[in-house]
Amino acid sequence: MRKLVQSHATEFALLAVIAAICAVLSLTTDSFFSLGNAFDLLNTSSVNIIFAVGLLVVLIAGGIDISFAVGASVVQYVTALILGYIGGGGWMSGLLIAGSLGILLGAFNAFLIHRFRIISIVATIATFNIYFGLLMFFTQGVSIYDLPDWLTDRVVLFEHEMADGTWAEITLPVLVMVICVAATWLFITRTTTGRQLYAFGDNPEGARRFGINIGAMQFIAFGWLGMMAGIAGLIQAHYAQEVVPNALYGRELDVLAAVVLGGARLGGGKGSVLGCVLGVLLIAITQNGLNLLGVSPFAFKMIVGAIILVAITLSNTSIEKLLPFMRGARR
Amino acid sequence: MKRFVIAAVAVSLSLAGAFTALAADSGKVGIVVKIGGIPWFNAMDAGIKEQGKKLGVDAFMVGPTSADPALQVRAIEDLIAQGVKVIGVVPNDAKVLEPVLSKAKEKGIIVITHESPSQKGADWDFELASATGFGEAHAKLLAEKMGGKGEYAVFVGSLTVPLHNAWADAANEYIKKNYPDMKLVGERYGVAEDVDKSRSTALDLISAHPDLKGFLAFGSQGPIGAGRAIEERRKTGEIFVLGPFSPGQGQKLIKSGAISGGFMWNPKQAGEVFVTLADKLMKGEKLKDGDDIEGLGVIHPDVENHNIIVDQLVPINKETVADLAKMGL
Repeated sequence: MRKLVQSHATEFALLAVIAAICAVLSLTTDSFFSLGNAFDLLNTSSVNIIFAVGLLVVLIAGGIDISFAVGASVVQYVTALILGYIGGGGWMSGLLIAGSLGILLGAFNAFLIHRFRIISIVATIATFNIYFGLLMFFTQGVSIYDLPDWLTDRVVLFEHEMADGTWAEITLPVLVMVICVAATWLFITRTTTGRQLYAFGDNPEGARRFGINIGAMQFIAFGWLGMMAGIAGLIQAHYAQEVVPNALYGRELDVLAAVVLGGARLGGGKGSVLGCVLGVLLIAITQNGLNLLGVSPFAFKMIVGAIILVAITLSNTSIEKLLPFMRGARR
Repeated sequence: MKRFVIAAVAVSLSLAGAFTALAADSGKVGIVVKIGGIPWFNAMDAGIKEQGKKLGVDAFMVGPTSADPALQVRAIEDLIAQGVKVIGVVPNDAKVLEPVLSKAKEKGIIVITHESPSQKGADWDFELASATGFGEAHAKLLAEKMGGKGEYAVFVGSLTVPLHNAWADAANEYIKKNYPDMKLVGERYGVAEDVDKSRSTALDLISAHPDLKGFLAFGSQGPIGAGRAIEERRKTGEIFVLGPFSPGQGQKLIKSGAISGGFMWNPKQAGEVFVTLADKLMKGEKLKDGDDIEGLGVIHPDVENHNIIVDQLVPINKETVADLAKMGL
């Protein structure tokens, strides 16, 4: 048990902080500890979690990507246009188109980084501007409200009427999110390629001497993020029921902060799917709790910042320092 | 590599050439809006272009990529460097812009603002709706829908947007005075420029306050986000959402009843007024009490605070929404 706690310090620290916040909120508000609220949290965090697990793979491989959120905007827009062109489509074709477009954009990042040896943050800041600039240039910022019905119809997978007459529901974005999370987990922990990504991120030169194909690693990592970003983009268009070219602009930093909070190392080689999901949830729960508590919105940012600091501090301090009795047990 | 360098040099030379050519023009009017690419400011852009053509003024709009005051400052600096005659601004943050607007004025540039009454550093600010008139119109409608009792919440674009907060103040004041049974929950939430945040905040507030019956959302995306939350919670007809929004975007929601209605002014008209005023001021005309100006009607300028405020409200409801949406709003 102790070994498990030690090797997953970040995850346990986050869980502890989340548990503490949840306990406080359950006691101080009537509505936090309810099915409806839990489902709301999942429904509204889905898109960010899909982005986050994609970004996690790139961070593990030692890269960073600033362009994925505007990339997702490009995918949204182009997908909507293609769907209009082929006259409708459906969820399968929609996800296929969005995923492939996303992979293309990710592959372009990987190409720049691998072929020209540009540092990933510089390359993706450039593509961030290129993708967004192209999108604004060609669309003139015009939004698309006329989307196919299958895309904008809400899909409720589970619904339950609560005692007070409100409805708790799980919607399609949650299912897609669960599939993306599971796929990423399988990919990075249960496949050889996934393990090679860790090795490559931790020590690229070592990995190269070991015979790992460096180029392939870059393309796989950025392609995976591209695919996730594409899917997240389509899902955002699904629940927003519109495609607004700058709707996702600025999302990249929120997601990056959450993933790093979840224990992914910016230098590569470290990070877990669980930590990254917890990172997103911690921020979502904090925001949700502040609204439920009726805290003055003027204090929101201050509190979110403080909670991030607490979580980071906890995960960086060894667990034994915080819990002296465990050290006692070792003696 | 060599070829690449040559190409890069060629590109930068031609760009530099293009910029000098632009700067040589005189009497240009540059209008910096909150954020580019959203329907509201696209309509304003259309108004600016049309009126510019009509009056023979070279007027153009600059839309930053996000609603960030720093980006507006940079855009205004660029306009000053280009040597425009008039700068128009729809500020994201009144305070942040003060120094750069003063700098423009020192250079002899005429500064006109919109949606930011009594802006420091501006020659004139014009409003198509008075803060009180606009806030009260929404408050009145909300009170009607809610039957004069119950809890309501207020969204604004950001806690630092002066106008949204002035509307919210006026609306709250009006409700407090005339409908003592209505109760405001949770001060106000600065989420209404972001549809996702408006949606999740509305969902949270509905959970937190079972007696919540209304949302007043001042900010272009606020009513849309809150309306979607109402649909999700199946509270259409029980919780009422009011606020100004883009009719094209909210058409489905208002027809289904998830948004009850709101008022707006016509951003295209605002764009036209920017150019009309710029044209008059460039010609050295003074604005006097009782002047009848195209797009504003008869004005009563407040010279001390350099405000021109008129009430040109357009209601958005089931009947008017289709026509407004057709205008591309």
